[in-house]
Amino acid sequence: MSVTVLTEAERNPRSRDTRSRRPRRRTSVNLLVGGVLFGIIAVVAILSLVALPFEPSDTTGGRLQPPSPEHWAGTDRLGRDLFTQLMIGARLAMLTGVGAVAIAAVLGVLVGLVAAMAGRWIDDALSSLLDIAIAFPTLLLAMLVVAWRGASLESAILAIGLAGSAVIARLTRVTATRVLAQDFVTASRTSGTGTLRLIRLHVLPNVWPTLIVPLALQFGGAVVAEASLSYVGLGSPPPNASWGRMLQEAQSTVLVAPTAAILPGLLLVATIIGINLLADGLRDVADPTGRTLR
Amino acid sequence: MISRHRRSRLAATLAATTASLLVLAGCASGSGSSDAGPDANAEIIVGSQNEPTNLDQIFGGSSGVTEVFTGNVYEGLFRITDDAEVEPLLAKETEVSDDGLTYTFTLEDATFHSGDPLTAEAVKYSLERFIGDDSIAARKSQLSVIDTVTAVDDTTVEVQLSAKSISFTYNLGYVWIVNPEAGDLTAAADGTGPYALGDYRKGDSITLDVNEDYWGDAPANGGVVYQYYADPTALNNALITGAVDLVTSQSNPDSLSEFESGDYEIIEGTSTTKELLAFNDRVAPFDDVNVRKAVYSAIDREQLLDAIWDGRGQLIGSMVPPSEPWYLDLADNNPYDPELAADLLAEAGYADGFEFTIDTPESGVHSTVAEFLQTELAKIGVTVDINIITDDQWYEKVYTDHDFEATLQGHVNDRDINFYGDSDFYWGYDDADVQTWLADAEQADSVEQQTELITRVNQKISDDAASVWLYLNPQLRIARDGITGVPENGLNSLFYVYGIQEA
Repeated sequence: MSVTVLTEAERNPRSRDTRSRRPRRRTSVNLLVGGVLFGIIAVVAILSLVALPFEPSDTTGGRLQPPSPEHWAGTDRLGRDLFTQLMIGARLAMLTGVGAVAIAAVLGVLVGLVAAMAGRWIDDALSSLLDIAIAFPTLLLAMLVVAWRGASLESAILAIGLAGSAVIARLTRVTATRVLAQDFVTASRTSGTGTLRLIRLHVLPNVWPTLIVPLALQFGGAVVAEASLSYVGLGSPPPNASWGRMLQEAQSTVLVAPTAAILPGLLLVATIIGINLLADGLRDVADPTGRTLR
Repeated sequence: MISRHRRSRLAATLAATTASLLVLAGCASGSGSSDAGPDANAEIIVGSQNEPTNLDQIFGGSSGVTEVFTGNVYEGLFRITDDAEVEPLLAKETEVSDDGLTYTFTLEDATFHSGDPLTAEAVKYSLERFIGDDSIAARKSQLSVIDTVTAVDDTTVEVQLSAKSISFTYNLGYVWIVNPEAGDLTAAADGTGPYALGDYRKGDSITLDVNEDYWGDAPANGGVVYQYYADPTALNNALITGAVDLVTSQSNPDSLSEFESGDYEIIEGTSTTKELLAFNDRVAPFDDVNVRKAVYSAIDREQLLDAIWDGRGQLIGSMVPPSEPWYLDLADNNPYDPELAADLLAEAGYADGFEFTIDTPESGVHSTVAEFLQTELAKIGVTVDINIITDDQWYEKVYTDHDFEATLQGHVNDRDINFYGDSDFYWGYDDADVQTWLADAEQADSVEQQTELITRVNQKISDDAASVWLYLNPQLRIARDGITGVPENGLNSLFYVYGIQEA
């Protein structure tokens, strides 16, 4: 792909024009495709709260049935409807994403602001701590949290959110420091604006846009991390049908009933691609020059 | 430039792979068309997931030790056959005194792999070692009826028991006779069996070489290699690619379809592994017989067995599999009947149901079973919480501390009904009659009397629903076509390899 683009650019002397025009079109495609993919999953997740085709614990479907008009995605070993489980899985994935991102955002912005505003040794200490936290693998941190609180969806969300908050905190600190050094902030300060008001009026509105894309990406990361944890039995406990757990359970029957393994995998991929495209699209909207310069 | 390089490398790799696949295919078809008739020199490669943690049975080397060593490298005074019969092995003759307390064994003329002769002293050493302070062997407590062991002369051993023990010779079938000169046996071996320990690669394989000076009949093959795989899929693939000749235990019925062609034989025997929902019979509400029976009758075990084993295995109604003398068909003693369950629950004063936690080991199928029980019990108003724990946690919380309401476990041992006579055992079933019968059975004068008494125990624990015996696992082995003589049944992991041969 990249090779073709380069040769085209070399051959075409007016490539600069095409380059500057193309991103805007691609931007909308990213945003659209991402939005649709993510939107579908989100709608399914919300639908699962209202109505499910079967009771999650209904075991009357027969063992490992293939997809049929009655059971759209087939059944598992215990005869439970897989489509129902996939819907619940969508809900758990959304819950994980929203929960982890919320924790990361609140905690990250808080710590980042403290570091930026306090300066001096507090800033140094917090920055060092953040570096350590960022270097710490998410899954390892998650296992520690699980060991401390027991395996549950809440533990997983907490761990993933904590891990994400370090990145957000560092980003907040850098951006906030830059904003605080601006003349209008100094002006505002000298005219007697209090710290909290300063944050609310000047710092947050300028920090926020830079955080939207990383947070969106973290949403995708959180969904994958929860699936991984569930896959190894450290995520939401049974009978909650997380996609990761469905994958794990389908593993032993993959040759007999492949749909049970393929569908949660596909949904996982669709969710991640959706949110990543969405994040990409958001980045392009927020910073139209970013793509061309890269 | 880079992309062109990559492409050519990819092409080269593809070409190489295709070429080697063709060569492999050629090899496979070549070996397949070789002449028929058993080959006594063929080396048999056994694939297993059950690697011993160390090589000595008295240091808890797990059931993997039994699978490799018992009967193959080490022999006992007696042998337990694949049909659970006891027959003499190193004890050529046995004399029992009238009071049943003195056993006199005359030994076979055998030698250890190191060349030392089998002596009465070696037997004395081996028995004392098994029940010694350091030993954590599974049958230690049952064999602790041994009071003294005396070497009368080189080939005669006299064992004095502190109490009569009808299953003494059966239990001796599990005790290895080892060479006292061999020292530490956790990574070495010196027995009298048809095979000597060859190469031992921890985490990978154990090789057994044929013992040329074996005192009995020579084995039907030219040596055995146990190859270990942590992952069941990897083990199946090894069988498909021909890296192993047979698999000792297949735990996943859904991968059997790969082996249903004529190139493999699926051998289904009876195991002694019972899947249990074990209550803590000490705590409310499970101290009430009616509650236990209600839970039992609320579970459609047929559907469960089908879900887990896809029609294989069998339903049981107590702790006894059909391979034991005191077996009774009790599968319908606590029938699946949700209405009966609801009535029993009401009778016990729990008409509105109750809530309890199942401590579920994360290994194996337990969590799937737990989910099924959760569904079934919800139908009679009983709420089940599933608490997933590791095997280590299970051992501490449930087995040692008895801090649980109910748990799931697979009990692999044969003749383990006697746990119901021990009120300190983790499930805490406490019934005076059962305890008396089991004690009397061990003191019985005849096997008939022993059988009669334990049959009574069998009936009683089933009537009391002391636990919920969900089902008996099948023993599934898979062998490549042309491999014969594979032991069928899985009696506590015993796996005699000397009869296996390659056509």
